[in-house]
Amino acid sequence: MTSASAPDEALVLAAIEQVWGSMLYASAEPWPADRPAEFESGLQAQIELRGEWNGRLVLTCDSEVATQIAGAMLGVGPDEGLEQPDVHDAVGEVLNVVGGSVKGALPGTSALGLPGVSEVTAVPSRGESFVVSWGDAPVYVQIVPDAA
Amino acid sequence: MKILIADDSRVMRQIVLRTMRQAGFGHHDFVEASDGAEALDLVASESPDLVLSDWNMPNKTGIELLRALRVTGNPVPFGFVTSEGSDEMRQTAQEAGAMFLIAKPFTSDTFESELSGMLS
Repeated sequence: MTSASAPDEALVLAAIEQVWGSMLYASAEPWPADRPAEFESGLQAQIELRGEWNGRLVLTCDSEVATQIAGAMLGVGPDEGLEQPDVHDAVGEVLNVVGGSVKGALPGTSALGLPGVSEVTAVPSRGESFVVSWGDAPVYVQIVPDAA
Repeated sequence: MKILIADDSRVMRQIVLRTMRQAGFGHHDFVEASDGAEALDLVASESPDLVLSDWNMPNKTGIELLRALRVTGNPVPFGFVTSEGSDEMRQTAQEAGAMFLIAKPFTSDTFESELSGMLS
């Protein structure tokens, strides 16, 4: 592994901004470090990158944010009702497209995994994440290298 | 014409379908497959005129699907709609016989540009 091949915050943020804008018709802004970013339950999507850098990207958001993201992708209003599997699917697919963009920007990356989505009851550590905005809500993003 | 959309994400299949409608191709018939193996079966049973396939899928990737079709002599027009659009993947796709590779995120303009010659 070389540090040059590792995805950094700026690269992943640029990918998220592109996906938010083109797929979700929303803007993503860095979340102020001194602003609270808590929620009690939500969804966490993960996708693996393999190559010169090995690890995974992790995206964690509030359940309501996940539903809003799925609605934005499908063009479905908040009152139209979305099945939970479609919400999981949508959040995973958002991270899949972010992962594809990151992979394309890292020449030493040879493979992108399939996204996995699970429910979580705690937010990640702020120290191990960066946080971007979905409207007025936080979305946690982690770049997690494999354990040595 | 009949068009097969292969993607393991149901949401993404819906988005591809919506984008095809926005691009003016909504009057065609659509069939959906949730992975590469199902897509291979549906190509045999449904004889689509075009396959739009994701690359990363369980049970048979998009490139494995395309190679499986070509090795049996099936010339069905085939395009990728995938989250990865590197030069290397585009070359691999082209060498395997794909007509085009549309990278996600995409717009209806992209679909119109790639498909108007064939579907209009």
